[in-house]
Amino acid sequence: MKLDILNALDSSSLLKEFNANSSKSIAASALAKIKVPNKKTEKYRYFDIEPLVSKDWKLCEVKEQNVEASGKKIVIENGALLNSGDIDGVSVELAEFSDIDAEHFDGLYFLSHLMAAKAIVIRCSKDCSFEIEHIYTSNECLINYRVVILVDANTHCQVSDSFKGEAKGSFILSGYDIFVSRDASLKFVKTHTLNSANYTPIFTSRYKVDSNANLKLSSFDFAFDNGLNIFRVELKESANIDASHLLYATENSKYGIVSEIVHEGKSSTSSQIAKSILDKKARGIFDALIRVQNSAKWTKAHQNSKSVLLNSGAYMASKPQLEIYIDDLEASHGSTTGQLDEKQLFYLQSRGIAKDDAKKMLILAFAHEIIATVDDEYLANKIYAQFEQAYYGTYELDCMKTCNSCEESVLGIDQ
Amino acid sequence: MSKVLEIKDLKAKIGDKDILKGLNLDLEEGKVHAIMGPNGAGKSTLSKAIVGHYDVNVTDGEIIYKGKNIVDEEPEERALDGIFLSFQNPVEIPGVNNAYFLRTAVNARRKHLGLPELNAAEFLREMKALVTELGMKPELINRSLNEGFSGGEKKRNEILQMMMLEPDVIILDEIDSGLDIDALRAVSEGINKMKDGKRSFLVITHYSRILDYIKPDYIHVLKNGQIVHTGGSELVEQLEKEGYSSFEEK
Repeated sequence: MKLDILNALDSSSLLKEFNANSSKSIAASALAKIKVPNKKTEKYRYFDIEPLVSKDWKLCEVKEQNVEASGKKIVIENGALLNSGDIDGVSVELAEFSDIDAEHFDGLYFLSHLMAAKAIVIRCSKDCSFEIEHIYTSNECLINYRVVILVDANTHCQVSDSFKGEAKGSFILSGYDIFVSRDASLKFVKTHTLNSANYTPIFTSRYKVDSNANLKLSSFDFAFDNGLNIFRVELKESANIDASHLLYATENSKYGIVSEIVHEGKSSTSSQIAKSILDKKARGIFDALIRVQNSAKWTKAHQNSKSVLLNSGAYMASKPQLEIYIDDLEASHGSTTGQLDEKQLFYLQSRGIAKDDAKKMLILAFAHEIIATVDDEYLANKIYAQFEQAYYGTYELDCMKTCNSCEESVLGIDQ
Repeated sequence: MSKVLEIKDLKAKIGDKDILKGLNLDLEEGKVHAIMGPNGAGKSTLSKAIVGHYDVNVTDGEIIYKGKNIVDEEPEERALDGIFLSFQNPVEIPGVNNAYFLRTAVNARRKHLGLPELNAAEFLREMKALVTELGMKPELINRSLNEGFSGGEKKRNEILQMMMLEPDVIILDEIDSGLDIDALRAVSEGINKMKDGKRSFLVITHYSRILDYIKPDYIHVLKNGQIVHTGGSELVEQLEKEGYSSFEEK
């Protein structure tokens, strides 16, 4: 299947093409209007979308199979649910899903929903912490699936999203629809190392944060190849999102984030911080809009992007944007791109630290601000390890980088 | 007395501007040398040239350290060989843990000297004694390097590094600037304890106040990129009375 030819179809033809029932009509209508993206689509202008939409893809069939139910991990392999986990307060099922975000800006979000007959629906009805592991093993195909997370009211959850496997030449079209109900909270931590000559992922998601709810979204992407994280957030009254993104991209990777955070309810707050470290000929993308609607009085919206270029061939497309339809708010945005600070580098060298080690130290320090937002120490250490593995090629555990317990015990320091 | 550092006819630029114009200076082993001079004379450029700062372009001359011309050496090579500069304005490095940084530096130097590296606990025990001795707040060591430190805390942190690294030549660039009297006393005591008859000091200042605490063996007057006069501690009094104008440029 070639995706770009879908642009010739109207909504009813799109439904027929994918044997979708009327529950997907929102997706069909929106796709017929927005279209499958091409190189002229504004949101994809810094990304190499053309090869993905013009290729004649074999679709990876998502087979329903016997699902294991053990451990604290939900496992999805090539889009199929492999293990639903045995997690107290968490139910997992395959179900038709129709609560599609009609206002989403991304054509692939709608296409992904149209193509997925059923979604993996995870409901959290008690406070919980678990991992979702995505495994890809099918080569040269289009792997499409959708995952839905419903966090019930007054429930507080942490989800660690991880990735494994090789699927050479494949296109992963997937994403989450996450609903954080009123007075609930979700910490969602995505950690993804994308090796070169592997698959190309486009994760296109929707996060709805209800009144007084809180979403803490942390993404850690270590990319040697192309990929994109696309998401749209709706914030209801007094809802909050803290989004932190760390990107390390190298080789010829084009990787990044395209997002829209929409303040719909009054007193809603958002903070979005992106840090990108770009080496060799990598291109980082941070194309992020915060929109404050006229219904969203007393909003606070802050957005910042900082990038470090480690090589003259590296490039950062940083585009933080605020779109504001109301006066009564507090908002800021900013973007900086540069090299490592020469003064800092020299200071470390002047103490006998070799230039390469000093650079690594500064890079880790740059990343630290984002990794430190993960308050689960075990998870934060895993992320440090994954980052160092991607950046250094090896990982050497040194407790003093991340933990001060020695200082506390030896020096008797109260933190 | 043997010379640990010989600077011969050193010419250096910052940008297009000639700053050092044929400077000659010998540092004797175990002695305290003070460099005094007016603003803009080239004092800080001299210290930067010795440690290999990227701002300074050495166009001619030699810096002979332990018998070897180090002009083309990387800053870290000079540091590992035992040259230490206490910065006038130490840079803040958010995200780099102060203790982790210092242990990395100490172990790099120990490795260079063929000594076994210190593990975290050994290092912290050694540091604890010095932190107390310098009157530093203990919590500063697990904060980010120099981030949010007061001027005095930064200078104490420089001296802590100096004491842990045990260098052979110590350059103190305006170590007294921004220090109150208590901090000045604590910092000076730390420096004086480092005197062991072998270690050499180069104290760069344009006020004589610091020399009340760190007694120099030699005073060199630096004007317009050259050493124009060398004498003993009696020069301090002359400088106090007459200023730098009484010393003619060569």
